[in-house]
Amino acid sequence: MTPAIEVRDLVFRYPDGTDALRGVTFSVAPGESVGLIGPNGAGKSTLLLHLNGLLPEHLTGESAVRVSGERLTADNVHAIRRTVGLLFQDPNDQLFCPTVFEDVAFGPRQFGLSEEEVGRRVREALARVGLQGFENRAPHHLSGGEKRRVCLAGVLACEPGILVLDEPSSDLDPCSRRELKELLRKIPITKIIATHDLELVVELCSRVLVLDAGTIVAEGPTVSLLSDEELMLRHRLERPHILRHIHPH
Amino acid sequence: MHIPDGFLDAKTAVATGALAAAGLGIALRQARRHLPARRVPLLGLSAAFVFAAQMLNFPVAGGTSGHLIGAVLTAVLLGPSAAVIVISAVLIVQCLMFADGGLSALGANIFNMALVGGVGGWAVYYLVSRAFKGLFGRVLAAAFASWCSTVMASVACAGELAASGVVRWSVVLPTMAGVHMLIGLGEGLITALVLTGLSRTRPELILEPAQVAGARPYGLVAVYGVLVALGLALFVSPFASQSPDGLDKTAEELGFDAKARVTVPAPMPEYTIQRFSGARVGTSIAGAVGTIAVFGLCWGLARALVPKGQPKDVAAPAPRQ
Amino acid sequence: MQPDFLDRHSRSDSVIHRLPAAGKLAAALALVVVVLLWPARYLPLMAVPAGLLLLAAGLSRIPPSFLLRRLLLLEPLVLGVALLAVFQPGGWRLMLLLVVRCTLCLLTMILLSNTTPFADLLRVLKALRVPGLLITTLMLMYRYLFVLADEAQRMRRARMSRTFVVKRGRQWKVLATVVSQLFVRASERAERVYSAMCARGWQ
Repeated sequence: MTPAIEVRDLVFRYPDGTDALRGVTFSVAPGESVGLIGPNGAGKSTLLLHLNGLLPEHLTGESAVRVSGERLTADNVHAIRRTVGLLFQDPNDQLFCPTVFEDVAFGPRQFGLSEEEVGRRVREALARVGLQGFENRAPHHLSGGEKRRVCLAGVLACEPGILVLDEPSSDLDPCSRRELKELLRKIPITKIIATHDLELVVELCSRVLVLDAGTIVAEGPTVSLLSDEELMLRHRLERPHILRHIHPH
Repeated sequence: MHIPDGFLDAKTAVATGALAAAGLGIALRQARRHLPARRVPLLGLSAAFVFAAQMLNFPVAGGTSGHLIGAVLTAVLLGPSAAVIVISAVLIVQCLMFADGGLSALGANIFNMALVGGVGGWAVYYLVSRAFKGLFGRVLAAAFASWCSTVMASVACAGELAASGVVRWSVVLPTMAGVHMLIGLGEGLITALVLTGLSRTRPELILEPAQVAGARPYGLVAVYGVLVALGLALFVSPFASQSPDGLDKTAEELGFDAKARVTVPAPMPEYTIQRFSGARVGTSIAGAVGTIAVFGLCWGLARALVPKGQPKDVAAPAPRQ
Repeated sequence: MQPDFLDRHSRSDSVIHRLPAAGKLAAALALVVVVLLWPARYLPLMAVPAGLLLLAAGLSRIPPSFLLRRLLLLEPLVLGVALLAVFQPGGWRLMLLLVVRCTLCLLTMILLSNTTPFADLLRVLKALRVPGLLITTLMLMYRYLFVLADEAQRMRRARMSRTFVVKRGRQWKVLATVVSQLFVRASERAERVYSAMCARGWQ
């Protein structure tokens, strides 16, 4: 089966010379939920930007990223952005329109759909994230959790096949976090979740990739990998509490 | 300097509206052609920055405080056309959302602050920074240009108010220009401080003046210059050529009855002409001396902020594609 | 958040709020033009547009204290410039005329901005064929000015909490640093917004 996402030997260096990614290789099967964890500065966000063609800024022939079997090039980058929905870390950066409706409609409007279709998609997406009735609200009046959910609605309205999330549970109060977790659980599409929230990874992801200093240093099933205390500590992580009472078989 | 509704008469409002629309149109066309896509959001964010920065109060003597206007700062950081768009956006939002600046005066406010203040100020910056090299030159140019921009904008504003017949030129010019010569000092100081600060932390954000201007800076400035000159011809020069001197003359005229209001009385032509030329030469000399003095102040400021022996120039960033 | 209070009421509900934005903008413009062109000798008759405005204000259900506060905030500038009008024959009458005109127009604009969400006004401008670049700039400016104003306040507070000796010259330097930091943050955020816009198909 063609992997939903396949990355082979991805190397990336910032304009000022720092190596951000030194040969990253992994693949994600359709429908899988994969967690991407690692210490700060490991390159998680940088890697995610590659999956949407936002880095490198000028795509040349040999891209190391394949989405649904197709190599990412300058010609298909816009189509790929429809397929791969990226949720940014700071919802303030992603919520740039004056009302919730306009923001969620931003993506669908680019597809040349009729206004009724756009409206339908917006309402449906908002309902899916539990924010029906929020159409006319202004983003700066929303709470952190609500902003995050509007961003998610904006991505869902584009009907992507793959969801890529950068720190989805950061800055959320415990209740909002729980709501978001339940929401993500109900979305069946392929997911890649980069996060520090190890409990979230245990609850949502079947497989985990550990990224440190620009390379994948470990990958495997969530529970067994995260229970490996020594591995976790070696990469500035830790065994999550939720696993402290589970003995690996 | 935001002119409220009700001060400008119909002809002035329409004329300035046309000039502003033309200038903004040119700026938008320039941006559409030369601004790379990744800098488009920067326009909106810079407008938000200018607005937020204007809300910070810089304490002046005795409980009063001043604030940044930011026209030249924006032009230095983004280039003249982008600055016109940014400042116009700020003025539009301030007018529509906060009733700061009248709807009928929007054209005049954009003309004064974005075109005269922004582009005019940038032109001064460009010329001075070409004459004096390095970071020192740029700080000096920015400080002086900020002062000039504030004063020039206030003169245009005074001209519009006088042309509308609400105030006498002989009253409004010294008041507005005088006040803004002082305000301009603060503006110059803040701009210099901000620019020096940026050069220390993020030098790549300060582009070479030549880079933001694009291929034909003089051509660009000439186009805007035509608009500004037109405006000044309409609103300032009619007064400059027949302005009596200062407040003592106007106090005299307060005794005149209403009928004499519209025309400037000239009971003794020869005497008046003599007084004109004397007065004009006098004010011109005073103006020139004042400007030179301010330039000297800016020099001292730039020297204080960029001592000799510092790296000669801000690290020049790679040319943008 | 301080700046937020300036358009706090734009999303309330009332007869006036429910009117279409285009109509309100046109009405505001018409009123401003009428007030401007109203001949000086019929000054007392300006009570008519004044009455209309007060009626609209009442129908809008915006607290009168709020309207008054906004008006008083902007009046001093009006009075200041109007005072200059005094220095000519017939000056006092002219000054009165100016103040009345200005105040009526101010009230019009305050009512407009507090009964119409900015997003709606933007839509009207778009329909009027205002160039897309300007619309995007206005949209992003409005969206982020609260965010940046907030950041500016927080930075200022953080710096002041570590200022133990107050020297005026020092304060200017501190404020200038806040301004330059603010620009850095604004341009970094602009980069991220650009990425976010691209990620959702913008070209």
